[in-house]
Amino acid sequence: MRVFLDGQATTNGKRPSTQPKTATFGAQIAESDPTVVIIGSGAGGGTVAHELTRRGVPCVLLEAGPYLIGEDYENDEWAAFSQMAWLDMRTTSGTWRVARNFPNLPAWIVKAVGGTTTHWSGATPRFMQHEFAVNSVYGGIDGANLLDWPLTLEEMAPWYDQAEIAMGSTHRHGRPPLPANNNYKVFANGAERAGYRYYATGPYGTNAEPYDGRPASVQDGFNFQGDKSGAKWSTLVREIPRALDSGHCELRPNCHATRITHDASGKADGVEYLDADGNLHRQAARVVCVAGNSIESPRLLLLSASSQFPDGLANSSGQVGRNYMRHMTGSAYAQFDKPVRMYRGETMAGIIADEAKHDPSRGFAGGYYMETLSLGVPFYASFVDPGSWGRDFTGLMDGYERTAGMWIVGEDMPQESNRVTLNQDVKDAHGLPVPNVHFEDHPNDVAMREHGYAAADRIYSSVGALSVHHTPPYPSTHNLGTCRMSERPEDGVVDRWGKAHDVPNLFVSDGSVMTTGGAANPTLTIVALAMRQADHIADELKAGSL
Amino acid sequence: MTTTEASPDTVPEASAVTASPTDVGGRGLTGRQAKVLLRLLRVAYPHPRFPDAPYERTAKTVEDAGRTDDTLADGLDDLDARADGDFCSLDDDRATSLIAGVADTPFFALVHSTTVVALYDDHEVWDLLGYEGSSFDKGGYLHRGFDDLDWLPDPRIEEFDGPPRVELVDASGSRGADGSAS
Repeated sequence: MRVFLDGQATTNGKRPSTQPKTATFGAQIAESDPTVVIIGSGAGGGTVAHELTRRGVPCVLLEAGPYLIGEDYENDEWAAFSQMAWLDMRTTSGTWRVARNFPNLPAWIVKAVGGTTTHWSGATPRFMQHEFAVNSVYGGIDGANLLDWPLTLEEMAPWYDQAEIAMGSTHRHGRPPLPANNNYKVFANGAERAGYRYYATGPYGTNAEPYDGRPASVQDGFNFQGDKSGAKWSTLVREIPRALDSGHCELRPNCHATRITHDASGKADGVEYLDADGNLHRQAARVVCVAGNSIESPRLLLLSASSQFPDGLANSSGQVGRNYMRHMTGSAYAQFDKPVRMYRGETMAGIIADEAKHDPSRGFAGGYYMETLSLGVPFYASFVDPGSWGRDFTGLMDGYERTAGMWIVGEDMPQESNRVTLNQDVKDAHGLPVPNVHFEDHPNDVAMREHGYAAADRIYSSVGALSVHHTPPYPSTHNLGTCRMSERPEDGVVDRWGKAHDVPNLFVSDGSVMTTGGAANPTLTIVALAMRQADHIADELKAGSL
Repeated sequence: MTTTEASPDTVPEASAVTASPTDVGGRGLTGRQAKVLLRLLRVAYPHPRFPDAPYERTAKTVEDAGRTDDTLADGLDDLDARADGDFCSLDDDRATSLIAGVADTPFFALVHSTTVVALYDDHEVWDLLGYEGSSFDKGGYLHRGFDDLDWLPDPRIEEFDGPPRVELVDASGSRGADGSAS
């Protein structure tokens, strides 16, 4: 069954209220028609679909998850988690605590149209200039597989501008700042008293006032559960409706790509996928863009091994799945003697950037941001100190209303052994090997985390905290690096356009192309890279070279 | 996502919260075991100002989650055995020490992974802890106190208007194996 959509882009995505799971949306494109096939509809894939279709290039957009829209979302942490999270079987290994506490949930990302942009928190800092060249700037760091990007900030700047304008980043291009919520009042006053200066309520990809057809935030406090209002940018509310309205995009939800096929010359020529009923399809392809996030993208390339590409598609370097990064993260939750009610308002509309710098005198390379963060009672209980019980644990819970929270997010070191592989011993619902995610902190990551915790202690102590609890990293929300970009084919998987070194019409369009992770929340950079890549693909198609 | 017994703190199936308990069969708890379970929950997750009702609802959820085998029932019997026959007669400190002795067992993993979700997903508990739950249906907090904290001054929300931040302090220096500057 095909369902057609019309009218202008709305604030909440569009989708009839009832639909069979096998429904597709937008244009009709024959499976035999070699077209641009985009796998994944999140920050990377959704952006590429919009940018190509607005230039008149037909695209099939495959999305493994369902088509949820604002009215479907639940202001309830566990209900939303069941509804949106990527819960397909995964395994973990390595010394990271996630492997002990949450062995089958290495990453907390979304399986739905719009991908993880439907639950991202919203912070939009850019990479810093030196973060594109850390191998040169940081020098050799034992155990770190550092490499300079084949790109510079100067080259990315116009694309960052476009991405910020598309996303409506506050504090940028005339977009006003969001107001201070309760959690920010504690955070920013603490920052000021601790001697920090570079704090603000953004840049942040949620409207402070109506913009681009989307309303202003109502400060409802639900971000990781999907934004019911549409004030927050996502590909669900911006890029995908516009792609569908272009008449050139067919969106196929509930369609899970299982293999990329290629012809005798080594060019990609199709994508095999399973629909909601488990039926196998094959969409012919002229160009394939893989944007399944940094666990599924390398998994798909590895699953696409053939006699011509025995180690997996685009893997002559052996780097597919390697250099998995998840950002150095940690959280600090401070208790006060007066109410905070951190859960009210935009979750991450507060950023301190003073520590986002490379300053070797701190004892580690790279830098980090501090950003406001709140969890509701249900998730606070599960994540504040996983495995904990007894009086210490309930003391944290009893102080919930008087608690302020922050997230610490910084650059982590790429390591070849931190890696996504196929687990041949565990099969998914389709009988395919599940991905295993192996991760161990680098000593640089540990040193940076300790520095961040100490900074959080200073910030909160300066405004009267009774105690500050250090929470370990959650299941990864920033998943990066498993198909990294490199100048030389032997060093990485894709070139400066995200095109596979080994396969001339295969692109990777998500955060897995990141050569190194920087300190910045990655969504803005993924969108900017995808815009740039789509422009390149459109030019190459026009020139007949793809 | 599935839980593994070897891991004491796997995120439980979200369906543990949302599934109807009426569709589970298997073995229930004896009255004695149910009493020990309730005492266990009050000791391991002590909130003196909570009434019994949220603990009783949580105990029911734990009981339902434990119906597939004897892990729960046996573990509760074991608590009594370790307490010379009456776990419920121990004071809080002694009961806590005893629980610590079984904290690494599949039994406690089952109790903990279910409780940490069910107890804190209970709306009465939300009220007790000062969490307001769903808000979009009430218009969010825009006019309901998203910025009502009054014990600190209103901070700046714009970015710092002084000199730009220095992003690169020192580009020199090689590093040792521990990542520290050499």
